[in-house]
Amino acid sequence: MDYRVQLAKRMLSNKKGSLIGAVLAVSIGILVIHVNFVIFQGLYDAIVRDLSSYRFGDVRVTDEESFITKKSDTFLVNWFERIPYVEAAAPRLDSAASINVTKNGKLIEEFKVPIVGVDPFRDPRVSTVANTVVDGQYVLSRNSIVLGSSVAEKLGNAQVGDSLELKVTDRHGQDKIKRFLVSGIVQSPGGQGLDTSAIMHIDALRDMMDRHGETGSVMVKLNDPKKASEVKNYFLRSFPNDDFEAETIEESAEDALRGFRSGIAMINMIGLFGMMSSAFAVVTIQMMLVSSKTREVGVMRAIGAKRKDILVIFIVQGMMIGALGAGLGTAMGLGYTFYAKETKMTFAGSIPLEVSYDWGKVSQTAVMAFFLAVAASIYPSYKATKLQPVEAMRYV
Amino acid sequence: MSDIVLELKDVNKIFGKGDTRVHALNNVSFSVRRGELLLIVGSSGSGKSTLLNMIGLLDRPTNGQVIIDGTNTTKLSDNKISEFRNSKLGFIFQFSNLMADLSILENVMLPRSIQGTTKNSEKEAIELLRAVGLESQMQKRANKVSGGQAQRAAIARGLVNHPTIVLADEPTGNLDSVTAETIVRLMKSMAKKLNQTFVIVTHDRHQFGEVDRIITIKDGRAFEGEDVPSKMELTT
Repeated sequence: MDYRVQLAKRMLSNKKGSLIGAVLAVSIGILVIHVNFVIFQGLYDAIVRDLSSYRFGDVRVTDEESFITKKSDTFLVNWFERIPYVEAAAPRLDSAASINVTKNGKLIEEFKVPIVGVDPFRDPRVSTVANTVVDGQYVLSRNSIVLGSSVAEKLGNAQVGDSLELKVTDRHGQDKIKRFLVSGIVQSPGGQGLDTSAIMHIDALRDMMDRHGETGSVMVKLNDPKKASEVKNYFLRSFPNDDFEAETIEESAEDALRGFRSGIAMINMIGLFGMMSSAFAVVTIQMMLVSSKTREVGVMRAIGAKRKDILVIFIVQGMMIGALGAGLGTAMGLGYTFYAKETKMTFAGSIPLEVSYDWGKVSQTAVMAFFLAVAASIYPSYKATKLQPVEAMRYV
Repeated sequence: MSDIVLELKDVNKIFGKGDTRVHALNNVSFSVRRGELLLIVGSSGSGKSTLLNMIGLLDRPTNGQVIIDGTNTTKLSDNKISEFRNSKLGFIFQFSNLMADLSILENVMLPRSIQGTTKNSEKEAIELLRAVGLESQMQKRANKVSGGQAQRAAIARGLVNHPTIVLADEPTGNLDSVTAETIVRLMKSMAKKLNQTFVIVTHDRHQFGEVDRIITIKDGRAFEGEDVPSKMELTT
């Protein structure tokens, strides 16, 4: 082993307090970045996941004219399901309705509510809304309706089996009223699902809106969500003369996520500032190390070590601090990530975070911390090379 | 190969400027032959350590020349001076100045490691440690041995690169009289055995007994032998 590396190692290991301090400074900087990533990227991904699985799918097809009229939903679903990347597709129709519930002939409540028309057989293959049923069952027939938990609460704690009246304005401006039986209540973790909507059979909604054979959107679920852009572009290329619009989940959720992305960028900046603070701590500790080794530097220079050799010794110390700090910080960060993933950590007790191991980011953070520690050692190392042997040896 | 290994020609060293100016060395000239054991003596503040720093290339003279093994060192670059110190000079300091983070053996091998010639260095270092009576202590950390043992290790370190000159600055200054006597005996025997040139600075001339040559420094001037002209003679 090169004597400079050996000396750097010994000097550092004999100054355990400084070594631990410097390594902790680097590792805590990394840990902060990992914690930020787990919480904020996890929350971002959780929102994307929920928007995708409850509302948009991986790709969402709509029409410029609000309703898809030129192709049937069966045609579009079959077309998509022929693509190998596609797991399933299902139509949806959205509207708004006035809803009221009566108990014992007495009107409890009446208000406007978003209505989502679903295909009860196809929808569970593209969406997890059916899994959020906390009472009763998902949409069974054209006469049944599923209420979001907030809607049910607003309706005076409507329950499964209750009867309610729904008023929808059709395409001609006529009000259509129909009674439904509550078949289920849905409630999603974090409220990202259809908690504030009412869900009914798509054909029942088409009847009420007088839009037979029309569809609001087609939700497409992919085997590999990374292929979303490819599938979207393939679809648009295949129907150049129709007025279809297609969006990936990121595009569909853009409005919801734009502000969040700025927030993540800001949090990342705070993490980077934390890492810069760690670098300043390394500078301070290295200055102390250099100061405590003044006499040794003088002796080494006297017996023939060049300035370059002294520089190498202290830079190697910086590399050791960086490597140990990066290793420990990464281990702590991955430990925290593992804990968050295994315990299905929730944000503010609601949305379960979508925790993932981003190995690119993990390595990037570790490498950046390592180089910051090395960079932080440059000035103290340079100061050490400036020590004149005759001056340094007076330091006893 | 010339018999002269060290030559000083009109070496002057001036510290400070104006009112604070101190003429630490004043036209010092002398030469040293190979294998000579030279004592540089003088009272405290006479300039003997400054002189040793000039010979050891730890400091540069204000003017004059320091010629070691035929090379005028005055104009050498910082890197060349480091190489020169490593290959031509051995150092023994008052406080031994071993590296506390290394073992006795590693300390002795250090000049060779710096030189990059590690071949046989361990074997030679062990031989030297045997010669100074420290073979059994060689794996101990430098800060775990006594002052006398540390100074013996420093002598071995000073000799390991087969330097042209070994410079010793008050090598017994920090030791009790019995240990000091052992160290003096050791240096003298090594000088004789290896035909090694020693330049030793001391304020206690009597500790060294018979030596080849003595130079006395007084008020920055060098005088051959122990007899120094009086102040009156110096000023006239």
